[in-house]
Amino acid sequence: MKKSKEFDNVLNECLERLLVRGETIEQCLQRYPEQAAELKPLLETALVAKKASAIQPRAEFKARARYQFRSALQETASRRGRPFFGWLPRWATVVTIVLILLLAGGGTVAAASNSMPDSPLYPVKLATEQVQLMLTPSQMGKIRLCARLADRRVAEIIYMADKGDVHQVELITQRLDKRLAMLVVLALALEAEEESPMLLAPSAEEAEGDRGVSTWANNRAQLRMLLERYAVNHPAALRAILEKVPEAAKPALLRAIVVSEAGYREALEALD
Amino acid sequence: MQSEESLVRRAQNRDQEAFAQLYEEHFDKIYRYIALRIGNEAEAEDMTQQVFLNALQSISSFRWKGVPFSAWLFRIAHNQAVDYLRRKKHTAVPLDESVASNDNTPQLVAEQKLDIERLLLATQKLTDAQREVISLRFTSELSIAQVAKIMGKSQGAVKALQHSAIVALRRALPVTENEEK
Repeated sequence: MKKSKEFDNVLNECLERLLVRGETIEQCLQRYPEQAAELKPLLETALVAKKASAIQPRAEFKARARYQFRSALQETASRRGRPFFGWLPRWATVVTIVLILLLAGGGTVAAASNSMPDSPLYPVKLATEQVQLMLTPSQMGKIRLCARLADRRVAEIIYMADKGDVHQVELITQRLDKRLAMLVVLALALEAEEESPMLLAPSAEEAEGDRGVSTWANNRAQLRMLLERYAVNHPAALRAILEKVPEAAKPALLRAIVVSEAGYREALEALD
Repeated sequence: MQSEESLVRRAQNRDQEAFAQLYEEHFDKIYRYIALRIGNEAEAEDMTQQVFLNALQSISSFRWKGVPFSAWLFRIAHNQAVDYLRRKKHTAVPLDESVASNDNTPQLVAEQKLDIERLLLATQKLTDAQREVISLRFTSELSIAQVAKIMGKSQGAVKALQHSAIVALRRALPVTENEEK
């Protein structure tokens, strides 16, 4: 019993060396010459088992699953009653809510936030987005918001393409194009915003300045990651439904794929 | 790069981007674990989606106690797989086109697929616990301590199971030409 436990430990030690630290079977066996004969076939089998790490989910499944998960994330957020303007400063939230309440009423806005283009509440959703953009003070915040809005447009395109509404797919694709174009312009302007505080930073406050720049760089890196993810996810989600939508909707959907690919490519280049 | 702990905390505070990042980081590993565990591609796809939806519903219950977030996700996947295997008599379906091709030549990809098919068939001859330890240790590359947490066993018991699983897999695998020499 004790011997068997010892061997289990030796085997595990060899597996760690082989699979994690990259040692060869021969190197492992040299460490344990007495158990080498018993260890060798087991380590060879472990290497065969390791080949299963090449298993990958199918690309179409990944794109579909990713899109469905995204939708579930958004649904959960709205169901839990997350404040719709959660990322805005408090003053902006107050002003926005007052403005929107004047225009439509609280319940309407909440319902509109998840509405699709075939809903009567959809114009309220678009108007709310415009107000949000106006009230977002920083360039970085505006870019993030543009990216989120582009994400919504992609979800809407998929929804309307699935219904075979070619006209709506074309209209939303135009909105997506517009939003991505705005994102590119903002990303280009970000360079200027980045350079000015560095030039103005007084040398006596270098440490503080460094911290500011580092936070800024961190935000920028996060923004880049978000855009890189969308650059892959959006065209993939649109492509994933291409075969399932009615024939008439395919040209409009292909145009949406081109728009999303080109838009994110330009935005990422602008960030570079 | 943010730490996993800060990402999890943000996800718990309903930050959609943080949760999406956790999803991207762990999706392939969870799929691989389930695929090898149950050997059925369509079911593995459904179950992988379900794992993340369950995680989304219950992330507020996750407590950071030094255990990686991945261990919690694997635990959800483990429970689902156990439940599935209890309810259904499973059949293996070759995981066609589910191999990372990267820059490999078509011949290499074909060989890789063949290796994986042989491995999947062989793992079907193992007990469920043996299959699980093979999947967690060699394809998901988790440590003995993490596997022990997921399986609800002691580390010693997992080491013993690992030993018996490799022996059983050795017996179940067809003898290749190289090994005969």
